[in-house]
Amino acid sequence: MIPAFTRRRFLNLVGAAGGSAAVYQMAMGLGLVPVVARADRPDLAPLRANQRRTVVILGAGISGLTSAYELGRKGYQVIILEASHRAGGRNLTLRHGDLIDEIGNPRRCEFDPDPDLYFNAGPARIPGHHTALLGYCRELGVALEPFINDNRDAWVHDQALFGGRRVRNRDYITDTRGFIAELAAKSIKPQDLEAPLTRADYEQVLAYLRQLGDLDQNFKYRGSLRAGMAVHDPSAPDVLKQPLDIHELLQSKFMNLMSFGEMDDQAAMMMQPVGGMDQVPAGFLRKVGHNLRLHAQVEAVQLRERGVRIVYHMNGTRSVIDADYCLNCIPMHLMSGIEHNFPADYAAGLSAVPRGRLFKIGFQMKERFWEREHIYGGISWTTQDIQQIWYPPHGIHRQKGVMLGAYTFGEATGEMFARLTHPQRLQLAIQQAEKLHPGYGSYVENGVSIPWVRMNNMLGCAAAWSVELRNQWYRLLQAPTGNHYIIGDQMSYLPGWQEGAMYSAFHALADIDLRERQTAPSAAA
Amino acid sequence: MSMRSTAVALLSISALPAVGAQTSFEYCTVCHGANGNGNVAIHAPKIAGIEPWYLKNQFAAFRAGWRGAHADDAPGNEMRPVAAILTDAEIERALGYVASFSPRSPAITVSGDVAHGKELYSACAACHGAAAQGNAALHAPALSGRTDWYLVTQLRNYRAGLRGANAADSNGQQMRAMAATLTDDAALNDVVAYINTLR
Repeated sequence: MIPAFTRRRFLNLVGAAGGSAAVYQMAMGLGLVPVVARADRPDLAPLRANQRRTVVILGAGISGLTSAYELGRKGYQVIILEASHRAGGRNLTLRHGDLIDEIGNPRRCEFDPDPDLYFNAGPARIPGHHTALLGYCRELGVALEPFINDNRDAWVHDQALFGGRRVRNRDYITDTRGFIAELAAKSIKPQDLEAPLTRADYEQVLAYLRQLGDLDQNFKYRGSLRAGMAVHDPSAPDVLKQPLDIHELLQSKFMNLMSFGEMDDQAAMMMQPVGGMDQVPAGFLRKVGHNLRLHAQVEAVQLRERGVRIVYHMNGTRSVIDADYCLNCIPMHLMSGIEHNFPADYAAGLSAVPRGRLFKIGFQMKERFWEREHIYGGISWTTQDIQQIWYPPHGIHRQKGVMLGAYTFGEATGEMFARLTHPQRLQLAIQQAEKLHPGYGSYVENGVSIPWVRMNNMLGCAAAWSVELRNQWYRLLQAPTGNHYIIGDQMSYLPGWQEGAMYSAFHALADIDLRERQTAPSAAA
Repeated sequence: MSMRSTAVALLSISALPAVGAQTSFEYCTVCHGANGNGNVAIHAPKIAGIEPWYLKNQFAAFRAGWRGAHADDAPGNEMRPVAAILTDAEIERALGYVASFSPRSPAITVSGDVAHGKELYSACAACHGAAAQGNAALHAPALSGRTDWYLVTQLRNYRAGLRGANAADSNGQQMRAMAATLTDDAALNDVVAYINTLR
């Protein structure tokens, strides 16, 4: 092990000969750099009065805006170059008249002008443990309200069950649990219990199964209030629903989605910004909007001995910026087509990670018909292509609402929808949703469709990292090359979430801060 | 370090078609990369340095559904709506825009048996020229200096009927017949490896 003082002295020698960048590269090469591990929101050292640092940020997505805000507060000069007509990246809220900039299919959003009639085409929900994002919401004055992700009154439509008849989520979950608990209670014998359980625990296991499945005295499942009553009539005695047929339930393809609303990042309590998810970028823009240049398309990123040169096009002119640092949240699969002088392995990594193909549809409905079905927020699930239907948790009991008419996770389904024309996409979504809500199509006034793989300047959704790709590329791409940093949700273990984008920014900012502190005159003394 | 900003006039913006919110000054380069030199990550070929007449024919082929309509041609399908939305006048202006690009020699990504490729290429040379320089009179584009992975993809597409399958597409049909003579994937790589030597 190298004693600390020796290491510092050695690096100071290198610094005297080659400057701070040489120190950093040398230290990186020797594996001596105090590599930023977990970086929560960093408290950057403010620049000194005579110190000038320029940071160019490529892309006004969430990571870019976060970086601009943190750097700007500490005296860094920040320029944000954004290729599209708007800031926010995949944080996209669509309202009346908004452009939907799909390659080859640009169109306008036809929703009525109304503060409740909007569609979050990108991120749409915030879990309570996304502390970075929630912290910025608090700090930037972005008002939040509950988002309802899980609703036991919403529908499950599984083509393999009950001849394709919709069932309530609560029936589906309760009856399946009840039958399985009954089966377990019947099957387990005291002598079967293995360590750490003993025979003495047998009664407790039975008690748990009774509670799990709402079993009767004889450990029989005979229906449960959790599945609800046959009729809601407060003036008459309770009559439970008849349990669904267990043979049918066990055919379900949906068993994994029974627990969707229990997952770490999907469970109650979730939130959404009042008035649309784009209130998050709007909050940042109130602080850094003056640094934003729209319609600025990057042509080249050149690492220089000190700093980074950016060549970009804006308003028909080509401009050059020489900056000390570059934070880059351009999707890697697009950066791969931009000119650069990156090291060969770093460059190869840019085109290694496939692009995601999530797809969403939003419909403006002339009536909130779902509320007549006792549904207020939440998600209905189907095994059809559209996969999900979401009911807006805001604007309750108003005349109209914008609901989510499709949200697909599968790559093939996303590609299938992308290839259809916009009217064909809506038509297919309506046809499939009729299975969950007969008459659905008669309520549709207009709709938006967002195939992220076709959206201009994005051409993809969350980076589709595999374990193998992570092992091969992640650390290489996460580390800076020269003074250039890749950021964005793509450079996190939480792709597809704004929290991941913010943490990618924190990681890069902490590294810059470390470099600046190390090269500050006081640190060298 | 100080910031320097210089502005260099490129093309007059009015000379370019407007698609969506973006002037298509930038539209082609979102997919096809800076200066249209291609982006392998999203299977977008190099268009810089391409012959205007050939590019125009391809716009027509995409519009007619000769290209990009087949279910197995995902990248072609991404191009098709772009071709469909442009007017004739906009296509003319797009050709001018593409002509303004600075072509670069693309990375070599295909390897194969160059000697075997040279033998195979003799059949190609009749139309595309001995130096793969192309021949406008025969509607045969230059093949040298193109993105090599794209040439392999298109040979596969011709062979599989993803391109050149429409009776009205006489040039495509001719090329499809030629591609059919390259019977295995190794042959495709070999001939493209040879074309790579003609830069």
